[in-house]
Amino acid sequence: MNIKRIIFWIAFIVVLGLIVWGLIVAMNKPVTKQPRLGTPAEVVATDHVRGPVNAPVTLIEYSDFQCPACKAYYTVVEQLFASSTNLRVVYRNFPLYPLPHPNSVIAAQAAEAAGNQGKFWEMHDLLFSNQLTWAELSKEKAIDTFKEYATTLKLDISKYNTDFNSLVVKAKIEASRTEGESLGIGGTPTFFVNGTAIVSPQGYEPFKKIIDEAAR
Amino acid sequence: MNHLKKLLTRPLANVSTGLVIAALVVALLGFADATYLTVEHYQGVIPPCTTGGCEIVLTSAFSTVMGIPVALLGSIYYLLICIGLFAYLDTRKTAILRTTMFLPCLGFIGSLWFIYLQAFVIKSYCQYCLVSAGISTLLTIVTVFIMIRYHDRPTSFNENI
Repeated sequence: MNIKRIIFWIAFIVVLGLIVWGLIVAMNKPVTKQPRLGTPAEVVATDHVRGPVNAPVTLIEYSDFQCPACKAYYTVVEQLFASSTNLRVVYRNFPLYPLPHPNSVIAAQAAEAAGNQGKFWEMHDLLFSNQLTWAELSKEKAIDTFKEYATTLKLDISKYNTDFNSLVVKAKIEASRTEGESLGIGGTPTFFVNGTAIVSPQGYEPFKKIIDEAAR
Repeated sequence: MNHLKKLLTRPLANVSTGLVIAALVVALLGFADATYLTVEHYQGVIPPCTTGGCEIVLTSAFSTVMGIPVALLGSIYYLLICIGLFAYLDTRKTAILRTTMFLPCLGFIGSLWFIYLQAFVIKSYCQYCLVSAGISTLLTIVTVFIMIRYHDRPTSFNENI
């Protein structure tokens, strides 16, 4: 093999290596540009809220129970909430319905129906923890699965069923999604820290840093 | 069937270098696209959910085959095509080119299968997968063009002209 051919092949391998290296570097570069979104509505009594009322940091999450990314962030937000006394967490529904998440609205209905009996967060935990179980089910089977969760949470099943199908619950979910759309939200989860949209941080540590800085 | 066999097995001659370089560039784009998804898969990054549903495709049961990410298979597929085309440019051995050109045909069948899955089973589309399918289709068109246009015509055939 002469020198020219060796250089030819080395150049080829370098090009391939540069492509892979460039992709890895570009993907590891943190995105810092803040998304241009509106300011979410004030936290009201009908919102689902955890944490002290006077907490210096309010984290509002627009989320979808069937969204895999929301499930991934569920764990992160749980960690944040457990490790901080400065944090108030607000969950708002933003179901991507009918596609790509056909069971997202009924999951939200289940959470709202549980919320009417004071167990929104318990149902929220069950829905995210078991997302893989119900996400691919037919609508009917998913509804049955949610009823099983309601039974596990010792809810009044009759009231749960009534609330699950109530127009008030459906309208609340729709209103939440409409509000999110009016802010310019295009995907889930979308987080607002003290009213300002943030780029979803990759993992617990960078997220904790944002919360800690906002608390100062 | 016999015509197809002849088309696939007959020797090639005077293949346009520019066309092979163009195919190599397209294959490199395919490699970049598939490698992006492979890196994302191994980094455990789940893209945000949007109405497009890319994350549904990338986290579906069809995103891996026997534990191997489809994106990685795509990277290897495009890498083999790149190596094959590059080896042809280096050696000018048409046997290498002919062997390499079978890959896009297999890839095209694979792309049709994954588009079917996205459209009718997963019911969501991932733009990166669609780009890959487009690149694979383009490579297949180039392959078929090369097979038809640049075959080595037998002497007797030439004499009859």
